[in-house]
Amino acid sequence: MDFYFGLLQIFGVHTLLGLSAYVVLLTGQVTMAQAGFYAIGAYSAGAATAMFGLHILPAVILAGLVTAGIACIVGFPALRVKGLMLVVATLAFGEMVRLFFFNLTWQVERGGEMVGPNGAEGFRAIRYFPENGWEVWHVTVFIWIVVAVIMAALWWMDHSRAGAVLRAVGHDETAAQSVGLNLTAVKVGAMTLGGFIAGVGGGIYAHTVTHIEHGVFGVLLATFAIAYPILGGLGSVFGTVIAVLFIQGFLIEGLRFVGDWRSLLFGALIVVAMNLRPHGLLGEHAPNLRRIFGREKTEREALNTKEAK
Amino acid sequence: MKLKAFIKAGLLSASTLAMATAAAAQDKAVRIVGSGASSGVVGIFGQNSSAAMAAAFDKINEEGGVKLADGSKAMIETEYYDDRCNAEEGISVLRRIASTDALVAIGPTCSNVAEPLFGILQAQVDDAGDTGLQFPVFTDVAIKGGLAGISEWVFRNTPSEAKMYDDLFAWIRAEHPDLKTIYGGVEEDFAHSRFTWYEVMKKAAEKHGFEVVGEAQWLLSDTNFSNQARAMRRAEPDVVAISAHPFTTCGMLREMSRQKIKPKVLVGLTSSSSLETLSGCPDEAQGLTIPTSFAPVNDNSKAAAEAVVAKGGQMDLHSASAWENAMILKEVIEAAEIEGTPASVEEDRRKIRDGLAALTEADGLLGVNVRQPDGEAVKPFVFVHAQGKGWEVLHDPKS
Repeated sequence: MDFYFGLLQIFGVHTLLGLSAYVVLLTGQVTMAQAGFYAIGAYSAGAATAMFGLHILPAVILAGLVTAGIACIVGFPALRVKGLMLVVATLAFGEMVRLFFFNLTWQVERGGEMVGPNGAEGFRAIRYFPENGWEVWHVTVFIWIVVAVIMAALWWMDHSRAGAVLRAVGHDETAAQSVGLNLTAVKVGAMTLGGFIAGVGGGIYAHTVTHIEHGVFGVLLATFAIAYPILGGLGSVFGTVIAVLFIQGFLIEGLRFVGDWRSLLFGALIVVAMNLRPHGLLGEHAPNLRRIFGREKTEREALNTKEAK
Repeated sequence: MKLKAFIKAGLLSASTLAMATAAAAQDKAVRIVGSGASSGVVGIFGQNSSAAMAAAFDKINEEGGVKLADGSKAMIETEYYDDRCNAEEGISVLRRIASTDALVAIGPTCSNVAEPLFGILQAQVDDAGDTGLQFPVFTDVAIKGGLAGISEWVFRNTPSEAKMYDDLFAWIRAEHPDLKTIYGGVEEDFAHSRFTWYEVMKKAAEKHGFEVVGEAQWLLSDTNFSNQARAMRRAEPDVVAISAHPFTTCGMLREMSRQKIKPKVLVGLTSSSSLETLSGCPDEAQGLTIPTSFAPVNDNSKAAAEAVVAKGGQMDLHSASAWENAMILKEVIEAAEIEGTPASVEEDRRKIRDGLAALTEADGLLGVNVRQPDGEAVKPFVFVHAQGKGWEVLHDPKS
């Protein structure tokens, strides 16, 4: 059973990574900085628990806030450029962060052992969960509570004025600006929120794997981050979850038995999925929850009955 | 008549009983599962380990399998999971293995997978406050120094590079007293190669009186080494030590050849004493000297190498460890008297862990492997150098 809980943990942290890119993509910006934000969150939360003995919850929130602050600072210069230039700029930022942690050595003594980032050797012994009696299922529940809270917040935002503003900027910047929207504020705000989510995700990730190193937070991870919401569809937060399940659950874990062919099938199946569903697996529009749960039908039937009377 | 019928019935009963016993023995099985990178850039290491494990278990099964606590014999079943040298996948694979009736895992391949994977295991046995996974892991390939200390459920049969390179540089110093300088080349983004240069090779070279006149760094995915080679040429070192895996070792050696850099002694990383290096850059690698814990120098190692080739793999120091692990586990399972039943899986895993922890020596392909209290091993080794199309033994430190 622990294996399935472990899988759910992977789905959870990757969903957070995907959601961090989803917020920025809503404004029409393609960013490759999410892996860098994820790394900042991972190292910050790891340092908070392993080096300074903080509880996991404040550690993860702290990681989110630190990352959000950096994302906000990065957002101002980065979002002055658009399209491919933004991709290149954010990619450069991601590499800069990776190389920073590649060179960062900062260790403190805890329990007679040196703990903390040790350059290219990575950051070992981020063992908050096992050392504090957390079973695998406890960790899984914790992760999915965090995911649910963030998804609910994004869902609410999507259905509020803030979501409409983000999408307006994403659809047509000129039109959005002409109705008085401050493009810089909207884009930097999205980048900051995305940074917070990536930081939280990275913080949790560090604790599920117990050891992090610069190599994990490279271009491949950044590509995954934007692939999740694009493949799943930008209609709602659920698209990202569906894409994470498709990639991590089916393509990576489900196809493990095909061995060497897995990497080939991985790319081919993503191409097939994008061709069959060019606007993402869940499309551009949010799923109609009323229709899914049958309430719309019931209301329509009630209306018909009323009219008939 | 009655006597004949009685004898016939007796023979029939005996043969039926014998067949039933044989069938029961064949029905019994214990599972030992491998994991590592069998695809991707370093996939060849996992493929060789998988082949070596399979060949070793075939040999054990052909000889009757392993003896269980009740005196019966069981066959060893095995399979190999690919983790693509990815930490998350490595952890997922180990959790999957632990969720089955497997008694022990052999792996992983990559040190950057081994560190997180060992981190999710219980750090100290019987620590009730530590909810880490309680599952024995016997590592064959991930060679970065000091990893077994992360958890008491981890044991490694990887050679001690500190001892190997210390002996190698001592030998070079004795053989070439006129050599003074050394230049290091390191594959900077791979845990093993980086650790080996900075913590092992460099320190051993300095200890034996070599002056480090420069270092060149590159990445696992790099394909251009001209700048690094140019800096190396300017330093004019007597010895060049390359701490990199076969792919970039060959890239660097080709560039050194192009720029006509000819050190008097060329030293390589343990992982490069493989066929990949010789097939990737056969001419440029000539003379490359590497300490290795495997070479086909005796009947046992030759037979093992042939068995692995028959399984589609190659025997090198890493896959030799996988072979040895299989053989050591057979001995441990028999000594620990495991039950081998579905109900005893947890207990059997613990017995295997305790059995591995209690080992002080184990037979290896080149001689006796000394087991250390921290779960590491000190294995016999030889110095080989690339000559023609193969690796030839240059020196045996025991001689």
